[in-house]
Amino acid sequence: MKVMKQAHVFFLLLLALLLSSSPCQARAISPVEGLEALRRGFAGISDFTAEITQEKRLSLMKRTMVMNGSLRFKKPDLFFMEINPPFSGRMLLHDNIIEQASGRDKPSSRIALPPEQGLKQWFLKLATPVTSLPDGVALQADLTNSVYTITITPPGKGQVKDISIVFLADGTVRRLVINEQNGDRATMILKKLRRNIGLTEKDFRLE
Amino acid sequence: MTIYRLLKHLLPMLLLSACATLATKPIDYRPGAVVNTLSTAVSLSIHTSDSGMSGSGYLVYRRPDQLHLVVLSPFGTTMMEAFAVGDRITLIYPSKSTAYVGGFDELPDKGGLQGWRMMRWVMDADPLEGQPLSGTVERSGKLGFSEKVTFENGLITSKESPTGDHVNYSRYSAINGVPVAMELDLRNIRDDRIRITLDEPEINTTLDDAVFVPRLDGLTIVPLSAIKGL
Repeated sequence: MKVMKQAHVFFLLLLALLLSSSPCQARAISPVEGLEALRRGFAGISDFTAEITQEKRLSLMKRTMVMNGSLRFKKPDLFFMEINPPFSGRMLLHDNIIEQASGRDKPSSRIALPPEQGLKQWFLKLATPVTSLPDGVALQADLTNSVYTITITPPGKGQVKDISIVFLADGTVRRLVINEQNGDRATMILKKLRRNIGLTEKDFRLE
Repeated sequence: MTIYRLLKHLLPMLLLSACATLATKPIDYRPGAVVNTLSTAVSLSIHTSDSGMSGSGYLVYRRPDQLHLVVLSPFGTTMMEAFAVGDRITLIYPSKSTAYVGGFDELPDKGGLQGWRMMRWVMDADPLEGQPLSGTVERSGKLGFSEKVTFENGLITSKESPTGDHVNYSRYSAINGVPVAMELDLRNIRDDRIRITLDEPEINTTLDDAVFVPRLDGLTIVPLSAIKGL
């Protein structure tokens, strides 16, 4: 449960989610072109909100959990996610500070990531065009009837086996699927995505 | 005088509503019915003096001493898995590809990990046999030490161990006639606190043995004594 130890996986998931909310051109794409299109498209996004449905398939227990909630993002460093009752969880990421609370009346926990792993730093890295895939990363891109599917396979044998992002040509994200090495699968379905609506810092508070 | 009249009417209502929240709502359950297996989605929060976390997950339990808990990250990936069988516990952290394996007595005193040691004691919460009585008794628990147990209408509402561990059971519901506390609140003498809320529990269904066996392929196995905290 050391969240700090999970920073790389955490940001990989977060960036995949944030980047995939950007508009892309409908055309056949190579892996590098796919990543670059996501990066370029994200430049036009200042903030967004979405309703989410999370499904967690537990392979060992042969069960699927379903959770509903919402998320918000504002450049350059604010991300908020809320899960509705009965699971009632809220998470706020402000650059490199993660705060979590499990209920309105319950104390929150606060974890500081190393500064170099803060949101701002990750977005600085996205300032330059993508010309090659990161070392060891495999990527597959597919475009069918204006629906993009990009599957990223991180290097090594870490927790995440692969991440798939499904989105439309106008940048509307349909879903994010994370397959884990242990056979579990986490799916996040985004609905009612709204971009550039003028979110302020007041929209990113746990209380 | 007007305020006095208002208070005169409001006060009994306030007192009555307070009593209603203090008392356990009676439920119809089958006498002698106990939890043999439990599988349920859970919401949980853990707070200690130096750390804390919260999240959702899934809990599977089989009497008397088998337990498997999955804790999820905000993105739905598996943050941590705990397997307990008898006196052995395995804690798996997939992001670190590491499994900590050992006996409960190897758990460090700090870092909020002592709560795992309490879990078997917490799960031992059968209702009173016979009459659904209310009151507090001191008895020898099934784990071999004495405990102070408070019953309400035959159901356990709290337990306290000689070492100061404390657990409250609340929001009872009868599922197929079996009484189940939907909310568990654990505190130990260091004021570490674990709160677990059950959602849509399934009671006394058949569970595969494999559910309680950790998959350790590809993981680095480390003695439990090496774990630092949550």
